[in-house]
Amino acid sequence: MLGRNYLGAGENVGKIFKLGIILAVFCVISAGGLAIVYMYTQPKIVLNSQLALEGSKKAVLPPSGKGQAIAVSPRGYGGPIEMLVGVDPVGKVSGVKILSQRETPGLGANIVKPKFLDQFKGKSLKDPLEPKKDIDAITGATISSRAVCVGVKEALRKAK
Amino acid sequence: MSLWKSFNQGIIKENPVLRLMIGLCPVLAVSNNAINALGMSVAVAFVLICSNAVVAMIRKTTPDEIRIPIFIIVISTFVTISDYVMNAFTPDLYAALGVFVPLIVVNCIILGRAEAFAYRNPVLNSILDGVGMSLGFALALISIGVIREVLGAGSVFGIALFNPAVAATIMVLPPGAFITIGVLMAALNKFENKVQ
Repeated sequence: MLGRNYLGAGENVGKIFKLGIILAVFCVISAGGLAIVYMYTQPKIVLNSQLALEGSKKAVLPPSGKGQAIAVSPRGYGGPIEMLVGVDPVGKVSGVKILSQRETPGLGANIVKPKFLDQFKGKSLKDPLEPKKDIDAITGATISSRAVCVGVKEALRKAK
Repeated sequence: MSLWKSFNQGIIKENPVLRLMIGLCPVLAVSNNAINALGMSVAVAFVLICSNAVVAMIRKTTPDEIRIPIFIIVISTFVTISDYVMNAFTPDLYAALGVFVPLIVVNCIILGRAEAFAYRNPVLNSILDGVGMSLGFALALISIGVIREVLGAGSVFGIALFNPAVAATIMVLPPGAFITIGVLMAALNKFENKVQ
């Protein structure tokens, strides 16, 4: 009885071992394939994100290219709003670009539109930078609009 | 099973979204405009066809006890490949689809077809099943995407049709997805009843 049990367990271990080997072989093949794809795509992915960042910096800085591009991420309605604020050498906003946001489509997501973002051009810390005062908020999206104002203010403070 | 039937059944008769009602999570999430729907359909088609082909190829050497983990390895390999490729070559689409590309790995359509079809059928049938199911998925997803984008944002494939101010924003928000899927399912049932 004891012997049979022992034998049974032994057979089981053998089978589990065999199945484990088969799984391991599949994993190795899969990892090898992925390594090859990674090798070919990774340089392109890195290049893409660099190009995107450089393009955004160029878009928010004044034509002379002088000043600073500051990344801030104020809290919006649907999560952090990643944005890039260009500040020229005299401390005025030269441009604002939203890099990523999860605001409500059709309402808060309209903060990416130039019609809204262009209002910030030329503003400095002397301006109130608040919706309904010097900034026209987007209809139905006060929280998102205010978040962008907060982000611009924070960037201006960081630039000093 | 005939080749034609393998191909054909996924499109309308066993449409994965509107008939089998599987893989609904990505359908609800990325059907808010037509471009996202198209991109998601292409990614799912790539993964589904490749995984069906590989699963059918290895079905005779795969031990029954560990077939599910092996399916998952095969599927996740192809998902990761499409993730890298989209990130490298279509970064804008990749950013829009977000977390739903890696989540293709748990899309029930793909594991479902591996288990229910590819594990039991020859390679060619399985590839055709993958193509048919992908077409059915794409058909449903793109219809929903177009309807939601037109009604909710006043545009189609990003081309403006009318002033978005008069569009019903609810259609591009989550409730719009449920409403559209429900109406499409009802329409398909009505159509089938008439045919019979």
